[in-house]
Parts: sequence; C-alpha cells; structure tokens
Amino acid sequence: MNKILFVLSLLLTGFNAQAVTELDDVKSFTLKNGMKIMVLEDHSIPNANMYLFWKVGSRNEYPGITGLSHFFEHMMFNGSKKYGPKQFDRVMEAAGGANNAYTSENITAYTNWFPTSSMEVIFDLEADRIEHLAIDKKMVESERGVVTSERTTGLENSNFRMLLEQVKGSAFRAHPYSWGVIGHQSDIDNWSMDDLRNYHKTYYAPNNAVVVIAGDVTVKEVKRLAKKYFEPIKAQPEPRKVHTVEPPQTGERRVYVQKESVTSANILMGFHVPETQHKDYYPLTMLASILGDGNSSRLYRSLVDEKQLATSVFTYMPDSFDPNLFYIYATAANGVDANKLEMAMIAEINLLMSEGVNKKELTKVKNLAQVNFYRTLSTINGKANTLGTYELFFGSYKKMFSAIDDMKEISKKDIQRVANEYLIRSNRTVGVLDSAKDSKEGDK
Amino acid sequence: MKTNKIILSFSILFILASQFALADFKMPEYKKLTLKNGLTVYLMEQHEVPLVDIRVVTKAGAINDGKQYGLANLTGDALSLGSGKLSKKEIEDLFAFYGAQLGGGVGLESASTSLSIASKDVDKLLPVFRDIITKPLFNETEFNKQKKRYIDQLTQSRERPRNVIGSAFNKMYYGDHPYGNPVEGDASTVEAITLEQVKSFYKNFYSSNNSALIIVGDFKTRKMVKKIKRLFKGWNSNKIKTIDLTQFNPPKESNVWLINKEDAIETTFMIGGTGIPSNHPDKVALQVINTILGARFTSWLNDELRVNSGLTYGARSRLNSQSKFGNFVISTFTKKETTFEALDLAIKTYHRLWNKGIDKETLDSAKTYVKGQFPPRYETSGQLARLLSTMWSLDLDNSFINNFQKNVDSLDVNKANKIAQSVFPKNNLQYVLVGKTSELKEEAKTYGKIKEMEIKTFKF
Repeated sequence: MNKILFVLSLLLTGFNAQAVTELDDVKSFTLKNGMKIMVLEDHSIPNANMYLFWKVGSRNEYPGITGLSHFFEHMMFNGSKKYGPKQFDRVMEAAGGANNAYTSENITAYTNWFPTSSMEVIFDLEADRIEHLAIDKKMVESERGVVTSERTTGLENSNFRMLLEQVKGSAFRAHPYSWGVIGHQSDIDNWSMDDLRNYHKTYYAPNNAVVVIAGDVTVKEVKRLAKKYFEPIKAQPEPRKVHTVEPPQTGERRVYVQKESVTSANILMGFHVPETQHKDYYPLTMLASILGDGNSSRLYRSLVDEKQLATSVFTYMPDSFDPNLFYIYATAANGVDANKLEMAMIAEINLLMSEGVNKKELTKVKNLAQVNFYRTLSTINGKANTLGTYELFFGSYKKMFSAIDDMKEISKKDIQRVANEYLIRSNRTVGVLDSAKDSKEGDK
Repeated sequence: MKTNKIILSFSILFILASQFALADFKMPEYKKLTLKNGLTVYLMEQHEVPLVDIRVVTKAGAINDGKQYGLANLTGDALSLGSGKLSKKEIEDLFAFYGAQLGGGVGLESASTSLSIASKDVDKLLPVFRDIITKPLFNETEFNKQKKRYIDQLTQSRERPRNVIGSAFNKMYYGDHPYGNPVEGDASTVEAITLEQVKSFYKNFYSSNNSALIIVGDFKTRKMVKKIKRLFKGWNSNKIKTIDLTQFNPPKESNVWLINKEDAIETTFMIGGTGIPSNHPDKVALQVINTILGARFTSWLNDELRVNSGLTYGARSRLNSQSKFGNFVISTFTKKETTFEALDLAIKTYHRLWNKGIDKETLDSAKTYVKGQFPPRYETSGQLARLLSTMWSLDLDNSFINNFQKNVDSLDVNKANKIAQSVFPKNNLQYVLVGKTSELKEEAKTYGKIKEMEIKTFKF
C-alpha cells in the first residue's frame, strides 16, 4: 500500500527537469484601443500563426437573429475596403498562408497560419476587415446558401448535432444557450443588412478581442506591426451584457427526436453546471474524464465492454462564460432498447455518487492532464489556441501554466460532491434519437 | 469600378507572391538500422517536449483480405485485446494511468499501431507496446465482443453518407482489384470472419521483416538502440506471400452508383477517375495542380461551388495514391434540388484544366501556398513518426522532403498545364451519389450506366 502511494506521488512530480515553454516565455501587451495581444516565440519551424478571439458567440444573439455570430464568421471573409470580395483568401494563400475560423456559444475565433516572412500581410488583411468590413448584399445572399448547406450537412451526417440542438432547446428556456450555434433556418433565411452592420460595429471592436501570435516571430516585430495596423482601429462602447440567468430546473425534462435512417438509439443527457470560472470547474472536468474518457473510463467499461449495451460513449463539458451543460452521450448497440441503455447510464452515475472515485482514478486524470499539456505545447497552434482559451474563459492566460497544480488540489471528495450536486435527475434533460415514429401511445 | 478594383488587387497579389523567400524545410536527422531479424528501425530525437511517439507499421493492409473484407482491419484492432501477460483491461488501465494514447489504423497496403507517451515512461510502457505487436493473445471472449461491437458500428456507419461514399467509389473504380477492397468491410463479410482466420492473418503478415519500428521524441539514440535490440530481437521473421497488384484496367465507360438514403435532406457525391501511383515522378507537381483545382479555400472548385454560387459548404478534390495505382476524386454535397446543378458545375470547373488551363498568377500562388503550409505538417513527434512510416512503406528516401521545395520551384506554367492535361482523367468519369435516389434517378441516367443500391444494406 505504502509502495503504491509512493509511486503515485513520484508520478505526479516526475516531470520537473525538462525545459519546456513556461509562463515567462509568454509576453503580453495591450494596445491603446484596448486590444490585448500575447506573443509566444517558438522557432522550431519557420512558421507562425495569429489567433484572434472575439468575445461574441450565440449567447449574444436573440430570437430573430439566431446563428448570426456564426454567419458573421463567414462574412468576415467576404470583402472589405482595401481587399475586396475574395481577396482576403487570395492574398493570404498567395503569401503562403492558410486560415480558418470557428464560432461557439461564447466566442468567435479566427486562425491564420503562415510562413513568418508573410506576417505583415496577415496584419494588413486582418486590420482591413476589422475596421472596414464591407457587407455586400450579393455576398450575403450567396453566403446564406453556404451556411444552409453547412447546417444541413451537419444534420445529415451527425446524430449528435441533431440531438444536441433539441437537448439545449429543452434545457435552456431563458438563456441564449437554448439554440444551436448554427441558428434556426428561418433566421438564417431572414436576418437583415442592418442586423449585420450592427453586429460588426458592436462586437468586432478591438476592445472586444484577444489576439495570440505564436511561432517563429520576435516580440519586437509583433509589437511594431500591432501598433502600425491594429492600434489605429477605434474602440467601441462595451457591448450589452448578457444578463439573462437560466431559472433553476426542478424536474427532469425529456425530448424525443425521430430520424428514419437511425439504426440504433442515441442518448444525450445534459446536466446544468456552473461556468468555467466557478470553483467546481476542475472537479467537474475530472469527473467527466473519469466517467467517459477512453477505454478505461467507467461508462466505457460498463456499457460498452462489460454489458455490451452501447458501442460508444463520451462525456463533454464545454468551456463557458455562463452556466452551461455537462453532457453524457451514448450510442446503443444493435437491438438494445433506449430505456435499458439509459437506466444503465444512470446506474453508473448513481454508483459514482454513492461510492465516489478511487485514488487510482484520481491520479490517472491528473497524469493525463499533465501529458496532454505537453501535447498541447508540441505545436504552435496548440500553444496559441490554449493561451487564448485560458485568457478568455479563465480570466488570464497565466492560468494555463497553473492548471496542473490547480488540479492537484482536487480530492476524491470534491469529485464525489460535484457528482451528487449536479448529476441528479431533477437537473437533467434527456434526449433520445431513434427511428420509431412517435405517433400514438403504444407505438413501437 | 469593380473591374478596376479587381485588377488592382491582382497586381498587389502578384507583387507579394514574388517577394516571399520562404525558409527551406529539411528532414531532421535520424538513425536508420536493420535488426538481425529484419526489423527496420528509425530513431529521431526531438527534445521540445518530454514526449515520445512510437509507431510500428506492417505491410498487412486490406489488399490481403481476399473476399473477407474487413479481415486486416479486424486483426489490427484485435492486437490490443490482450498480449503477453496482460489482459485487454490491464493494458487499457496501464496506458490510461500514465496518460498514454494507443492508436492504430489499417489502410489498403499497411497497418500501423502507435503509442504516445511521456518520455519518463518509456521503460515501463515500451515493453507492453512490444507485446501488443509481437505477442497478442487473441482471447476468444474478447474477440467475440470486439466482433459484435465492430458489426454494430458498421451498421451505424451506414447512417452517414460521408462514411460510405469513399469506399463505394473505390470499389466502383477498382472493381475486383485488391485496391477495391473496402478496408472496413461490411456486416456480412465481417460476420463470417473467425478468430482462426484473424490468427492466421496475423501469423502471415505481422513479422519483423515485414515491419518497421519508428521512435521519435525525447530520448537518447544510443541508449534507445540498445533497448530496441533487447526488446525486439525475439520477434520472428517470416516468408511473406505478396500478392500481384499489377493487373488492373480502369473502367472503360462511365458508371453511376446511386445509393439510396430515403430520408436524405441533401445529396453527397463523388466524381472521379484515374490518378497516380505514390511514386509518380510528377507527384509534387500534381500536388500543386490539385491545390489549384480543389485543395485550398480559393481553389477553382470551392470558389465556384461555394463562394460564387452558394451551392455547398465546401467542394474539394484529391489524389488517392497507392503504391501501384491511384485514383482522383472530386467531392461535395448540396441540397437535393440542386444536385445536378452542382454536379454540372463541378465538371465544368474541372474541365477548365483543358479549356482554359492554369495561368502564371494562380500557379505562383499555389506554389507559395504549398511551400508555406509544408513545415507545420511535420511539427510534432507524432507527425514525424507518421512521415517515417510512410517513407518506409512507400520506399521513399529523404529527397521526398528535402527536394520538395526544389520540385515546387521548378514547376512553370507550360509544365504544369502539360502535366495536368496528360495526367488528370478528362473523360470516362465515374460517379457515386448518395441521396434520395427516386428523385435523382432519371437525370442520373444521362451521366452513365446506373447501379442502384440501399445505403443500409448494400454489400461490397
């Protein structure tokens, strides 16, 4: 027993000798217009990236303009003053760069990857679209088709996507997390030019952004270019606060989604949990890992391996500005009744609530976090994305470097406590996706 | 006004494109050796993070399946069902405890197993990894459970057009040639596979002289060589039966496979034809040309089908190369009503290769683009390990990496157009459409010889 404990403590401290990226390697400064910029030099490849995070996502929308944040992510590529329609991508790709973007419930992120020699072009392109986006009517109409296709192909190819939309809609009846990031089709079809113009002015202000640049650059050069291109962009008034608080859920909610081509039931449970900056964040992410991360997790072992009730299972807890959901997803094995699978999922949760987790499970998740941290640091994109994520969701990029230590503080008791507090029946929404029509009582 | 603006922007673009002098990317140093039992070993030190990536690649791909589609894949999966002295659960628990990630993948010509671990855990975990490759237990209970899961997942994969279209296209194009074997198999072929067949597949192909071991990351080469020799010396070599891949005639007429998905809300399709083998002398040039055609955001296909017309979220093209032959596919999806509008636009855009050709400005842009995006593909130990395993299985040397930039630079407009027009398939195109076929059938007939099938039940 003692020996095992000794080994475990060694494991948690066995990493110290290495010279990997540290907190002091990250340099940060804020421009006069409020735009915060972080730089991390990494000369391992002759490339760099620029990640721009805007504090705008589907939580800033309201009925009538749902999906607008994501649509805007598309419109940012459709032309501005100096670089007209198509030029953003053409100029960037001709300079050896590539880009992408994503929108979540909370943020919109733009990612540029380029050979260092073309960094100035990237600054010029970004500054132009931030300050002078031209919202061309023809481009808007064409882009509605693109986004509709994106929405449709998601629903056609992903059961999770289809079920997620319904579970969120039921779990949230007040807060904007209620709708999917892609938005309702009728809103995609109908939002106006004014909606778009207002959105850009309000949210694409330098004081509403966090920028990270990682790679084969020097802090000095980044500072010079940031002052030249980004600092002249005017700040805007703070956007309206999202003040809606989801009223407490006091009883289980259920949704059923029918899709003819589904061959076995899919179940998605969503439990209300606090926002990322809450003290329960780490116990909850560790709980999610113990329950559903990999083949040694509790749900996989029980449902997939031993009982053969499911073919796959996972847990998911998004980083979030406001209280959001803790998800558990399972796909039933062929011929397994949805109800039977659901009861087995609940039994595993109840077991964890009553008996807690063991020492080995606790150490496992801490070890995994440590190794994953190094995996993150092995690419310039991992570095940039993670720095930005911590800055936005945890309040400071510095937390990225204390995350492992913060997790070390978490005990078995903490994990059992959060399971008992949040993974309870009255706090959950259960979504079932299956092929049977829900037409009348007694239908099979 | 608008025209002027575009011309101005183009000239900006041109000036920029000629200015960039990109830093050259070279293959990092590594040691290559062959053990007495024939195992090829590659060791490459990378010390940025305290991680080590280990990979074993074996020429045990789906081309060896015969008619037992899925056999190679099932065998690859079965390696981790218990080995040496450890059960499946014990292996999973051990790796998970140390934050290690065990992965694997089976392709047409090779199968790989990989492990990503912290460098401090090499001595504990490398022997376990060795056992997975060289001493699998093939426990019957575990195998039966795995086979059932696998069949269920195959059934589920038929829910998604994107999961089936690639294998369907390959089967249509290659027919009975081993490259037509669907790697994942289908429920009926997998149902018939026995544990004995898996054991025998393993015995026939998983041997030291038919494999390479690649280790990249934070270690000292000298010490690692000793460890490797000690750990892998007991792996047996074997006489490998190779199959003939040289006999193949591409389809002589256009075929259209219509795969019905009754509740489809869009149509997913692939168009294609003959491609190139992986050792083609103009491989790099063709990569640049395909970038122009359908492998970046501003590519012709994405520009026409997405940006100009709003028909789809994305359209692309790719060259799928195997050691002896390859094919070429254009793929996209669109709402049911615009299926043929999108299909025709894709073909029309593709035919620009012959009708209009590639101009200098576009070529320069694509050349800069592929060079600029090259280094991040080989940034991590895991990526470098994959690169070395590809080099081994396709018998490539360092020039593959080191001459990349030179090969790109040497491409001019004349050469590009000549290669494009002689290599890409202009006529006799092949089609697979997944959607609601009752609404597509009549018009689809005009494209070629129709074959109809059901997404849930069709057999390869």
